[in-house]
This record gives sequence, C-alpha cells and structure tokens, in this order.
Amino acid sequence: MNQPLRLLIAIAGGEDPILVADVARLLGPATQPVAITLVHVVDIEPRALLGRGPAVRRGPWPGGPGGLDDRRLEEAEQAASTAILATWHERFKASLPDTVTITDEVRRGHPEHEIIAATNLIGADALVLAARARIGPTEPGPRSLGHVARFVVDHAPAPVIVVRIRST
Amino acid sequence: MIFLATIGLVIARPRGISEAAAALVGAGAMVIAGLVRPDEAGANVAGHWNVLLFFVGLTGTAAVAERSGLFEALAGRAAGLSGGRPRRLLVAVVIVGAFVAALLSNDAAALVLTPVVYVIVTRFGLEPLPYVLACTFVADAASLALPVSNPVNIIVTDRLGESAASLVPVLLPAAVASVGALLGCLLLIYRRRLPATSVLAPGGSSWSSFGAIPMTLRLAFGLAAIAFTLASIVNIPLGPTLSIAWLFLLVIERIGGRRPGPLDGIGWSLLVFVAAMGVLVDGLSTAGVTSLLADLVLGPVRDMPAAVMVVSAAAGAVGANLFNNLPAAFVLADAIHNSGLGQASAHAAALGTIIGADLGPNLTPVGSVSTLLWFVLLRQRGLVISSWSYIRMGLVVTPITIAAALAVALILGVPR
Repeated sequence: MNQPLRLLIAIAGGEDPILVADVARLLGPATQPVAITLVHVVDIEPRALLGRGPAVRRGPWPGGPGGLDDRRLEEAEQAASTAILATWHERFKASLPDTVTITDEVRRGHPEHEIIAATNLIGADALVLAARARIGPTEPGPRSLGHVARFVVDHAPAPVIVVRIRST
Repeated sequence: MIFLATIGLVIARPRGISEAAAALVGAGAMVIAGLVRPDEAGANVAGHWNVLLFFVGLTGTAAVAERSGLFEALAGRAAGLSGGRPRRLLVAVVIVGAFVAALLSNDAAALVLTPVVYVIVTRFGLEPLPYVLACTFVADAASLALPVSNPVNIIVTDRLGESAASLVPVLLPAAVASVGALLGCLLLIYRRRLPATSVLAPGGSSWSSFGAIPMTLRLAFGLAAIAFTLASIVNIPLGPTLSIAWLFLLVIERIGGRRPGPLDGIGWSLLVFVAAMGVLVDGLSTAGVTSLLADLVLGPVRDMPAAVMVVSAAAGAVGANLFNNLPAAFVLADAIHNSGLGQASAHAAALGTIIGADLGPNLTPVGSVSTLLWFVLLRQRGLVISSWSYIRMGLVVTPITIAAALAVALILGVPR
C-alpha cells in the first residue's frame, strides 16, 4: 500500500466554490489514497489592533488581554472558523471519491506564516490556496496574488497550486 | 521643559507606568519648580469641578450601558438590518458607531463597540479589519456632535466659558458632514475588498436584541440620552447632569436586580490625568508659554474669524498628533483664553480647536500610540502590506473629514 498523497488546502472562507471542482479534477479518479487537510487560520492582526488604543483612551475602559471581551472574541472566532471549515468539508466530501480522507485544522496567527508552518508539520506533498481569498475575480497578471499567497509561494517547502477565483 | 518631559513620559510610558502617574509627576514638578503654588494647584483642580464630575458621570454611565448589553443590542440590530450584506453592514456599523460616539463619548464607541462589532463580523465569516477600522475612525469623526461626545469638547468649552448652546447648532451638522465623508471614504477604499455576500449566514435569532435589556433600564437610557442632549442645548453644566444621570441609571439597575459595585468602571486614571494636566497647563500659562503660542499662531489672523477657525483647527490637529489630543486641547484652550481675541474670533477659535483636536488624532502614525506601535511591529515583521491599512486610512480620511467639518462650521459658525 502506498503512502497517501498529502494535500494541504488553505481556506480563508470567501473562496469561489469552484475550488472544489479544481481539486477534484487535479486528483482525478483516485488510484492512490489521498489525505487532505483543510487549514483555516484566524488572523490575529485585527485583534492586535483592538488591543492598542491610544494610551489615554485605554485608561478608563475595561478589556485588555484575558478580559471578558477577549474570551468573547475568541469564542466567536472559534465558532466562525469551525463553521467555515465544516462548510468546505462538506463541499469537498460531496465531490471527491471515498478514498480521500479529509481533516480540519484551525490555527491562529498570521495566515502566511501559519500555512507554511502547517505544511511543514504535516509534511504535505503539495499545498493549494486561492490567489486572493476575498476580493473578486483575479485575472492572472501583475499583483494578482494577495500578500498571503505571495508569502506562501515564496516560502513554501512543497509545490504550490494557486487557484483563481472566477466568479464574483 | 517639564511639560515636554511629561508628555514624553505619557507617550512612551516606560515600564508600563500609567499616563495618569506620568502626568501627576509632571504636575508635582511644576509645583516644586515654583511655577504653580500648591494652593493654586488645589484651586485649579477644584476649578475643573465641572470637567471632573463630567468624567465620573460619563465613565459610570458607559459602564452601566455596557453591563446591560446595550452595545450588543445596538450592534445586533445593525447586523439584522444589514441582512449579511457586507457593504450594508459597514454602513450600519458606521451609523451605530456615530450614535454611540455622539451620546456616550468617542471612547465608548472605539473601545466598547469595537469588540462587539468584531464578534458580529466574525460570525458572518467576513474579514474584520474594515469594520474594526470603521469603529475607531467613526468614534472620532462623530465626536464633534455634542459636548458629551469627546473629552476635548468639554475641556475647550469649559475653559473658554463658551456656552454649549452656541456650539451645538454648528457642531452637530459638522459632525454629520464628517461622518458622511468618512462613510464615503470607507466605501470607496474598501469597494473591492468587501465581498458581495457574507461567507456564513448565522440565523436572525442569533443576535442579541433590546429584549434582553429590562424595560425600565431601556426607558432610563432613553431619558438619560434626552437629558444629555437637552442639557447640551440649554446650557446646564454637564458635569452634574451626567453624574445625576449615572446615579439614576445605577438606581434603576439595582431595582432591576443587578448589584454591581457602584464604582465599577469609573475612569479614575482619566480623572487623575485630567486634573494633573490642568495643573501642568497652569504652569505653562504662568511661564508665559501659552500666550506666546497664542501670539505666534493666532496673532496674524486675529480679526478674521474664518481664518482663526481654520488656523486653530490646524493647530488642534497638529497638536493632537504631536502629543495627544487632551493635552493639546488644554494648551490650545488656554492659549485662546489668554489671547484676548474678540468674541467672534474666540468663538471661531473654540470651534476650530474642537474640530482639529477631535478629528486630528487619526491622522499620522505619531498621532497616537497605537499607530506608533504599528510601525514598530511593521519593522519587526518585515513590512507586511496589510499593516499599512491603518496608516493609509488615516492619511486619506482625516484631512477629508476635517475639511468636511470645517466647511460646515465655516458656513454656520462664522457671522457675516
């Protein structure tokens, strides 16, 4: 029995569902087992922005690390990430053969760093991500990669498949 | 010298000492240096009774509002109305933020509403950054509206003896203009970054609603909001008004069965900071710095109210970016007070200072500690594009909102 082909797919949430068809076509009728890991990274940047009010402003108000707000935000992020991954999990499962196993993974940090870290950790044979996660269609051309995709292409330890969003 | 050193301490905050402690040290130094006599310092603090009471009432009221879930309910309503469409949600967030900022101060909007909005946006599976930035920017853009909206407003009106009644008719429309300008900027800047539909569709029932707040408390909030607005217009001192509103809300909250510590959420550090700042600026005034500043900045244009307004708005914005908006407002108000401007010019100068010091802090990276930190982080991380968002936004939005507000204030606030 062969080692399964390990594929990491980075999911931001806003990708075109056509991503699923692209992956299905790539894999073709399965002749060897495939293990897909869906990774969603919670970007810590906006949260960090919240934590840094100007000095005087921060004075009288509650909050800060470990506060009630922090817990609430974390719960919301966790719930949203799980929901996003569950949606995509279903989509992939529906259009891929049974020989493919799918696992979900939520990470926190800067998406570009975390995607690379996850690829190393899993020892993925290839990784798939959208050229830009949230903006509409991206024709190939200059600046068609978002900063996350660019970083990943630059630093990836495995072959990278960049998928373009085609509809709005 | 002492003032600059103190401001340096406030901004840098070595070893995490609080800005209040830094200001207190500076005020102490002023007394020791003999620029302010101890009894004068005492009189100064007592003379700011209206401002100090104002901050007690304001922070207390905001704490009651937060405990009651008012912010969640407001934001939940916004989420429901948006129907999950990202663009509409942005508009709704700006409008809710503007109301909170106008009625409960800019800090409430920036610091209490932002986390709530963050949760909502996350549950739609949307990128939080545009919405988070909208919250912080609208907090300042809308804070012109009423004297209660921004600590700067009360400091300036109190020092100059301006009646709120003469300011509100000008500042309220100006606030509407600046919020409108902000909204336009946001929609334009994020026109491509906002997807057409949200990623997730949480059910309508999942948002918190006003129903979760006891009816009596809801009525009390309504009454308090009307009281602030009326007091602003009819020119009753705001300190007592807000403190009474706060006590009233506390009583209602207790009747409703909740028993928080009555002093929870009062901004003691802000109180100390403001009191110490008053003493510091008193020292500056004695040393003749503020009148020098007045001659330098306002001297050349003193008899042209329109020019005075523009110049003082610029001075307010620059000052807010050089040190911090509260110290800038203190210094400018004192400078205007000592400048012996005619009545029309002084009025215009008050309006200009409020506009500049309210809207200015968003401008540059050095304007606020938060943006300074952005830069440090940028360098550590080797320049990641998304981190530019704040700076880019600030540079675009601030001049536009100031221009919009000034245009309205020039039309309405300068006699011809």
